[in-house]
Amino acid sequence: MRLLWRAVVGLCLALATWATAGAQDVRSPDAALAQVLEEARASCGQPNPDRLVKVLCGGTLRIGVRDYYPLFSTRDGEKRDGYELDIADAIADRLGVKLEFVRVNAASRIPLLAEDRIDLVIATMGHNTQRDSQVRFVRPHYYQSETTVVGPRAAIVASWLDMPGRTVCATVGNGSNAELVSHDVRLMLFDEAGVLPGKLRDGTCQLAAQDDSFFAYYFTEPDFAAAFSQKFGFAQVPWGMAVARTGSDRLARALDLMSQIFHRDGVFLDIARKHHISTNFLREQQAVWKRIDCDTATGSTNQACILPALDADLEPTSFAARVSTFESWINAKTGTSILLPMLKTVPAWSLFLGGVANSLILIAGALLSTLVFALLLGGAQAAPWRLLHWPAHALTVVLQSSPIVLTLVIAAALAREFFDFSDVVALGAAIMALGLVNGSNAGQAISEAVATVRAEDARDGVRRGHRFRRAVGRSSSQLVSFLVNAAKGTPIASFIGAPELLSALTDITSFSTGRVTTYWLLLIFYIVVVMAVVWLCGRLQHWLARSYAT
Amino acid sequence: MSPALQQVLATFLPLFLRGMAVNFEIAAIALVVGLALGLLFAFARLARGLLGALSATVTGLMRAAPTFVVMFFLLNALPRNASLFGIPIDLSGVMAVAISLVPYSAAYVADNAVQALAQLRQGSALAALLFLPNLTRAFFVLVMSSGAGAAIGVNEGIAVILHQAEQLPDIEDKLALFAVGIALFGVPLQAAFYLIRVLQARLSRVMIRRHVKA
Repeated sequence: MRLLWRAVVGLCLALATWATAGAQDVRSPDAALAQVLEEARASCGQPNPDRLVKVLCGGTLRIGVRDYYPLFSTRDGEKRDGYELDIADAIADRLGVKLEFVRVNAASRIPLLAEDRIDLVIATMGHNTQRDSQVRFVRPHYYQSETTVVGPRAAIVASWLDMPGRTVCATVGNGSNAELVSHDVRLMLFDEAGVLPGKLRDGTCQLAAQDDSFFAYYFTEPDFAAAFSQKFGFAQVPWGMAVARTGSDRLARALDLMSQIFHRDGVFLDIARKHHISTNFLREQQAVWKRIDCDTATGSTNQACILPALDADLEPTSFAARVSTFESWINAKTGTSILLPMLKTVPAWSLFLGGVANSLILIAGALLSTLVFALLLGGAQAAPWRLLHWPAHALTVVLQSSPIVLTLVIAAALAREFFDFSDVVALGAAIMALGLVNGSNAGQAISEAVATVRAEDARDGVRRGHRFRRAVGRSSSQLVSFLVNAAKGTPIASFIGAPELLSALTDITSFSTGRVTTYWLLLIFYIVVVMAVVWLCGRLQHWLARSYAT
Repeated sequence: MSPALQQVLATFLPLFLRGMAVNFEIAAIALVVGLALGLLFAFARLARGLLGALSATVTGLMRAAPTFVVMFFLLNALPRNASLFGIPIDLSGVMAVAISLVPYSAAYVADNAVQALAQLRQGSALAALLFLPNLTRAFFVLVMSSGAGAAIGVNEGIAVILHQAEQLPDIEDKLALFAVGIALFGVPLQAAFYLIRVLQARLSRVMIRRHVKA
């Protein structure tokens, strides 16, 4: 009886253990993955297969990868190497399929998914809210980068406080450009990140901002590491594998589960160590995915376990919808694609309005300062006293000898010595520099006219009044041409950080689309403004000649 | 002179001269292209009628186009795969700056050529010859304007000065380096302007003498 009792208890315990183990197994990502793959394989041959079925039944997974992103994905002939390629291998192993690599870049990776030319993209793609509407990101993320500011070791840059007014080389479309711009940084834009290290080496760029993952390779080179250092980082962004938004639900689910398992089991971590990339993020993620609340079949949807996408959505303007309608209408009527990014988001609209206002202030200020300096320096150069004449003449020669860009830089450097950097200081320095350069030339013309007026008076033996006024009238054409020149020169003020329209639109295009339309508008704006200045100056010249010249 | 400035100046001159050669290269390209276009516009303007009006309008637009804006326009608004007569256009920084200066140089050449051609029609060949010193003046204005290339990473003279100045911590040293840069730009410029004035004076004297004889 005791034996029978023991046997019954033992059987019950065994059954309970089996049942518990079975229940745990069903909740684990491993079991869920096995179930998803089994169901998909069973669907081979059925009509309207989804992408997972096509991959498993076709035996090939088409992955979009980059050809040159050192440490992450590089290609040398037929040989590919990098962190992302080993992840692709690990996924193909789990699925039991062959890999077919397709070259992608930042611009093509999303369209290729949408066009069904690839099944999956693993190509250094940051997961942000804008891209969420274009592709389905695999969760959890397989890496995280941040934008790092790199510069010569000697450069004293430690935080945002040291950044206003500096020029930073960056790539067009980089998500962190908007943040750089918001800290009064001037951008020098390039299409490809690959040129940045070379531009740092040859001195074209004093600072460059790009993903730390990109610079990681270059810092493995002793000479680069000896010359440059990472100054500070910002804008952490998780990297995600992605599939198409339609027809890929089960493929995405399988990859979600696989990604969980790879984190938990240290697969990502081992691959990262093999390729000598930073492992901080992956170690943190391994700890997360080992937690019992995350290591479940539903872990990839648990907000306590996954990371949010970087919020890259910019607040739209109240009239953004009407602008989009207008763009579509133009496209439909003319076949021309016009994009007006400066009207669609609040930050871009604010930059645009500020740029237009500052440009008009700059032009008005440059015209006024040119006129004032022309009269002052013209009067001083025409003065009979050498103490006044020679310094004015020397200043004119120096200003004529200095290219306008250099004069602007000198004015900005001096302004910084006396004031804290601000938009007003930059505008003020630009107005002074443009006024001095053009005013000195116009002043020289006035002084030469004074000499002719004097000579005529001497020849005729009379002393007519208002010599200076007559000289101004006589040199009116020169004066007007330098006033026009001053107005035309105002866009150069963007070089020293003056927030005029060129500067504002360059900033806008660094984080939005529509570069072509934007620069067309810029060109038209300045040509119209300069022509208006030419017309106004023509009236001024006519008035001066009529009122003063005799 | 501070040790930092001494160190910079020790290597500055060869770097600057290499950079200045780029300034001259840009100016030469801009002048040659501007000369060809400007002469075409000048002849078209003298033709009067619709062609003349069109030429005058285009010249006016080119005169009003700011170089700096044109440069950024060329770099950003031209399609990446642009081609001219089937030849792909790969716009380098130097070419972008040079072409951005073309509207100025073409308008300048057109204006001066119209004046010279008018003088020639009036029988004053020597007055028409003033076109040549004016062309030299335009060349040096273009050399000075080519410094705009520093904004797009062209390694010309101004860019060299600015890069070297970045290595100097003190404003006094920076200003001293800027002064050296101005002198190096200024000496050839002022010498050229002096020669232009001499040439113009000689031409004027010859013209007056011929006029008196006639």
